[in-house]
Amino acid sequence: MEQALARLEQLKENISEEINKAASKNALVEVRNTHLSKKAEINNMMALIKNFSGADKARFGQAINDIRQSLNELYDTRMQAFLDDEVSAKLASEQIDISLPGINYQAGGTNPVFLVRDEILDIFISMGYEVKEGRDVETDHYNFELMNIPKNHPSRDMQDSFYISENLLLRTHTSPAQARAMEEKKGEMVKVVCPGKCYRRDNDDMTHSHQFGQIEGLLVGKDINLAHLKATLDLFIKKMFGPKREIRLVSSYFPFTEPSVEVQVSCAECGGKGCPTCKDTGYIEILGAGMVHPNVLKMSGYDPNIYSGFAFGIGIERVAMLRYKVDDIRRFYQNDVRFLKQFVRK
Amino acid sequence: MKVSLNWIKKYIDIDDIAPSELADRLTFAGVEVEAVEKLSTATKLVIGKVVECVPHPDSDHLSLTKVNTGEKHGVLQIVCGAPNVKAGQKVIVALDGAMLPGGKISKGLIRGVESQGMICSMLELGVDAKFLTADQIAGIEVLDDDAVVGNENVLEYLGLDDTILDLKLLANRSDLHSVLNVAREISTLYQREVRLPRPNQYQAVKSSFTVLSKTPLCPQFSGRVIHNIKVETSPSWLKKTLQSMGVRSINNIVDIGNYVMLLSGQPLHMYDLDKLPKPELIIKDDYVGSFTALDGKEYDVRKGDIAITSANQVMCLGGIMGSLASAVTEKTKNIVIEVANFAFDAIRRTSSRLALASDSSSRFVKGINPYQYDEVMGLATDLIVSLCKTKQIEQTVTYDARQVDQPPLISTSVSYINNRLGTRFLQSEIVETLKRDWMNVEVLNRDDIRVGVPAWRIDIGGEADISEEVIRILGLDKIANTLPSLQVTVGGYPKDKKQINLIRRHLTARGLDEILTYSLVKAEELDGFRILTKGESHRLINPLTDEHEYMRLSLIPSMLKVASHNIARGSKNLALYEVSDIDTTAEATTRLGLVLAGSDLYHHQLSEVPYSFFHLKGLIESIASLLGIKEARYSFEKLATSEQELHPGRSALLKINGQVAGYLGEIHPAATSKYELGKNKVFVAEIDLPVLLSLENGQTAFKAFSRFPAVQRDLSLVAAVSVAAQQISKTILSVDRIIKKVDIFDIYSGDGIEQGHKSIALTITYEREDRTLKDEEVNAVEKAVLEALNKKLGINLRT
Repeated sequence: MEQALARLEQLKENISEEINKAASKNALVEVRNTHLSKKAEINNMMALIKNFSGADKARFGQAINDIRQSLNELYDTRMQAFLDDEVSAKLASEQIDISLPGINYQAGGTNPVFLVRDEILDIFISMGYEVKEGRDVETDHYNFELMNIPKNHPSRDMQDSFYISENLLLRTHTSPAQARAMEEKKGEMVKVVCPGKCYRRDNDDMTHSHQFGQIEGLLVGKDINLAHLKATLDLFIKKMFGPKREIRLVSSYFPFTEPSVEVQVSCAECGGKGCPTCKDTGYIEILGAGMVHPNVLKMSGYDPNIYSGFAFGIGIERVAMLRYKVDDIRRFYQNDVRFLKQFVRK
Repeated sequence: MKVSLNWIKKYIDIDDIAPSELADRLTFAGVEVEAVEKLSTATKLVIGKVVECVPHPDSDHLSLTKVNTGEKHGVLQIVCGAPNVKAGQKVIVALDGAMLPGGKISKGLIRGVESQGMICSMLELGVDAKFLTADQIAGIEVLDDDAVVGNENVLEYLGLDDTILDLKLLANRSDLHSVLNVAREISTLYQREVRLPRPNQYQAVKSSFTVLSKTPLCPQFSGRVIHNIKVETSPSWLKKTLQSMGVRSINNIVDIGNYVMLLSGQPLHMYDLDKLPKPELIIKDDYVGSFTALDGKEYDVRKGDIAITSANQVMCLGGIMGSLASAVTEKTKNIVIEVANFAFDAIRRTSSRLALASDSSSRFVKGINPYQYDEVMGLATDLIVSLCKTKQIEQTVTYDARQVDQPPLISTSVSYINNRLGTRFLQSEIVETLKRDWMNVEVLNRDDIRVGVPAWRIDIGGEADISEEVIRILGLDKIANTLPSLQVTVGGYPKDKKQINLIRRHLTARGLDEILTYSLVKAEELDGFRILTKGESHRLINPLTDEHEYMRLSLIPSMLKVASHNIARGSKNLALYEVSDIDTTAEATTRLGLVLAGSDLYHHQLSEVPYSFFHLKGLIESIASLLGIKEARYSFEKLATSEQELHPGRSALLKINGQVAGYLGEIHPAATSKYELGKNKVFVAEIDLPVLLSLENGQTAFKAFSRFPAVQRDLSLVAAVSVAAQQISKTILSVDRIIKKVDIFDIYSGDGIEQGHKSIALTITYEREDRTLKDEEVNAVEKAVLEALNKKLGINLRT
């Protein structure tokens, strides 16, 4: 019995040493195949158990199991170490330069005219305005007559137009949308914003463009007054340009509004103190507006004794130039991608 | 309109108001002052007398002068380069330190001789050359003998101590093309008195001259004959006044006409009485013939033009320009003064047809005070009498067919005005304000008022106008900020706009740049890419340039110009899109244009994929999937039309319900060079959005998917090259309902495949919703698939 135990102890020592010495995963497997397989000596020694009796029987069995378990554990640990090394080596070999760029899912640029248009529309949509669009080619009737600008009216000189025929032209402003919206609503409240391209016979230069974008706004209902217009535009300006901007109204003239005002916004550069951006006036002209002329209401089927309304027209490029400090209106139509990529949707 | 403040000051006291403050006040009241300019900004000037003038010792064109400038500055030595400088002249001297428009004057050596100042010309003081004679431009200004040596108020002496307001008048305030009315406007804003000129009454003899209008285009015409006048140079006060208003002096008679026009806003015309064939002026609108105007050019006169005739010869094109034949010259002795009203639209028509405009026609076109002819005739008569010392005046003869003598009264109320403005002005405030504004106000009761509008305010026609007058005078800063309290409304975009915005966001997220191009194009840009075009292009009848003459028929040419612009600047990889309306003679639609050039920088420069037809097709399919449009509802078909701008083998039509909804393809090499697109391939697509957006995305409820496993089987087939992949997929799908999907995973032709054929490998997915498929079932269907492929498309299994 003691002899057998001593042999076991020796086997454990020998095999442990071999396991520890195994230089590779394969060598380790070889050790296992040699010493831990079913036919290995350590397992064969189990047969000796029948020579013992009583307590010795149990003691010997326990001893073999303990040694086998300890050798198996040693083997597992060593094997795990080899596997770990293998993975580490593989990972080490797979290292990448994480500073390289990601797969290109970059968003495209957007012409700032569209950014500004969408933003303006969203502000008015949040105030409950519907978006309605007209067409670029408009009749003289809608572009002028219904806007209280009869044939040969002196103010037709203000907006020299591109004509297609005597009665067809490229709209010079988005105001015809006013008449169209009122015709559609037939006496109901009208609350619309109408974006669109407009055209005037201007030579293109830094500040003029024969094509430009405009957004018309119109609110017609009962008891609408100039103070409502001012508050609405003040809210719009603060949303668009920031809560610190103030507006002021300057008397102006449009044939389709009476009174007519020009809306100026306090200069973002100097906050109203005066600087080169605002030509030392502290304010910058931003849009035209006014109370809808009674004739315009009447021509579109709204009784001016019952209804009143306000209208405004915003030049999109002008706002975009102020917002993004763009120096030349022609840049919007050149579409240099180095220009477009600078602007993102807010 | 440029207005001299010195002239204004003749009628209203405003010396205590700074010009810049006046400009602000006017601007806020709707009379925009664009600029406040001094007529001359020169400083440190003095009047001197040249006491000695000898040639400069070291120059052949300079003179060395000694100029006495009075006690304060003494005798100065000045080198002068003007050819006309002479001893004994009284001259303008700019002293050391003087600022002239051209720069600062300093003492210094000129060719070795000290010069202590400069003798000035009018040009050097800042006077526009158009007011100066050739001598005045070439040399120094030689002053009259009455000039006082040592006088330092030189600008005042010269009439250059004036400030000019440059008014940018809006179309409604045509009345302000009159110095008197500007003075009235200032009086309204500052509540000050105006001293109006009162014409004298004359002992005039009865006139035998006849005036008659035979057309409603001239409702009123007055003529006055004045004999024994003398045409000569105007006195300096008149010259200076005109000059300050930017008008050149011609002679006393012409200048008087201009002066009175500037003062009153009413154009006048002067005829040489002796050159009229008959002592009559008959106004007609049916004259047909020709006419030689003052400018020496011949113009044709048609029906509808206002012809002022004498013995049926045109003496004047009413309100536009007189004839050369009846013009006032130095020899003129007797004149007829015309003060008339003409229909603005007739003048506008004639003036624009003949491209002939004058100060007079522009005033008529803008609108004038129709009821001041008597007063204007009086002002002109006064000046002629005082300048020509004549006493031979005939009575004014007038034709006036108008019924109404006064503009109508406007009834309004305090409540109307306050409701429109959102204000709470008292009746007394409103009444007082309107009275300041030259209106007659009658208070009817505590609310209602009746307003008589002055004749010159032709812009005021209704109560809304009255409300504007109140607020522009009392100040728009009186308007409160009150948001309207209305019933709640739901705002938003119409459905198609929402979908278009979705597509735009999608394409932007996909990395495409959104561009904006001009709708007006040149003729050549109408050619090509017209597959979707219906109707013809709208052509402008009055284009500014042929670059922008036609409304475009396609977005692609404009977009290719943008691509070319960018490629030329080194941006060769481009992915662009634009959404824009297209209006032709036959349709009003909205298009989406796509342009791809160069490579898709899939992993930036590490992995570039050259753009191909399939990038475009993929983008279009992605839009369809975004909108929930199933593949079965649209198809790509080979381009049957011969579209020369596209590669015939790499282009397609997008069809929806058999209707062409778009096209896509590679640009033809010829078009690549035409549009200067560089070496890289360029791909374009254009889609008619209304057709695409008309498809409803039908599914509204969840549909359960099968709980049972699908079976996938691969097939390797050989087909003729001409058989399209889509034909194969469709054929397979049509064989049995258990076939759910066909995915092509390899296409090959070359070694091992018969010439003119290709090998296609694909996976077929079989599935049943109600149970697991059995092998035999799938085998049977697969067999049927092979039979169908063979029968319909001549396809065999690859062996």
